[in-house]
Amino acid sequence: MTDILARRTLEEPAVEQAIEDLHGVLDQLWHDAAFVPAMDQMAFSTAVIEAASNVVRHGVAAQGSELLLGVELTVASGYLRAVISEIGAAPLDPVPDLEGPDLTALPDDALLEDYDESGRGLSMIRALVTTVTVERQGDSNVWVLSRDAGEGH
Amino acid sequence: MEFTTQDKGRYTEVAASGRLNMVAAPKLREVINDVVAAGGKRIVVNLAETSFMDSSGLGALIGCLKLARQSGGDLRIAAVQPQVTMVLELTSMHRVLTPHGTPDEAFPND
Repeated sequence: MTDILARRTLEEPAVEQAIEDLHGVLDQLWHDAAFVPAMDQMAFSTAVIEAASNVVRHGVAAQGSELLLGVELTVASGYLRAVISEIGAAPLDPVPDLEGPDLTALPDDALLEDYDESGRGLSMIRALVTTVTVERQGDSNVWVLSRDAGEGH
Repeated sequence: MEFTTQDKGRYTEVAASGRLNMVAAPKLREVINDVVAAGGKRIVVNLAETSFMDSSGLGALIGCLKLARQSGGDLRIAAVQPQVTMVLELTSMHRVLTPHGTPDEAFPND
């Protein structure tokens, strides 16, 4: 059985306020799990906020539904896990490309105009966690982010 | 997030306090727009009190840098905290947004 060391959840309408509230929930999680190394806390929090912001910005409610953001954060021995759900959402179309563009693809002498102002969220998530998946479950699109952390990592 | 704009003579300082996320990013763009519209050429965004930045915040900084350069000026960042450093390095954006130790060091006397 997996040893769960800390757990926090949030579920509310997928609007900007949910992102501010999620920052608070992450602060509570690290208060409960202060033993998690600072680098792991920072990387995981950043990935979670990116994924949740993606839901608020791009999530589409299914007809007759209100779009909710559901977040379940778990600290276990050896890893950190976030389940981020777009509840009451239309199916993702297209399904996001989790391979995404390479962040370091621009040459060293790239000009400022070569740098886009958006589109970095998914590649950042991939770089910050060990695994990321997205799948349809019932009326929800569910993102699962997992980062190896703690002893042995 | 709170923004405080101050004329420092050699440059205009915009101090950003809080979390530069999708909620704060459009506000940063407005603040920098106002500075540029008022004739500000050299702008330092002081990130000493910015505890968090995501890709929206980074996108806003890049947009602000482009705006400043297009109007014949420049925008630099200073006093960057660890999480922001992580995001800049992860995205290779430190190449175009090089962090300076303090606002004064961002635009040294010339």
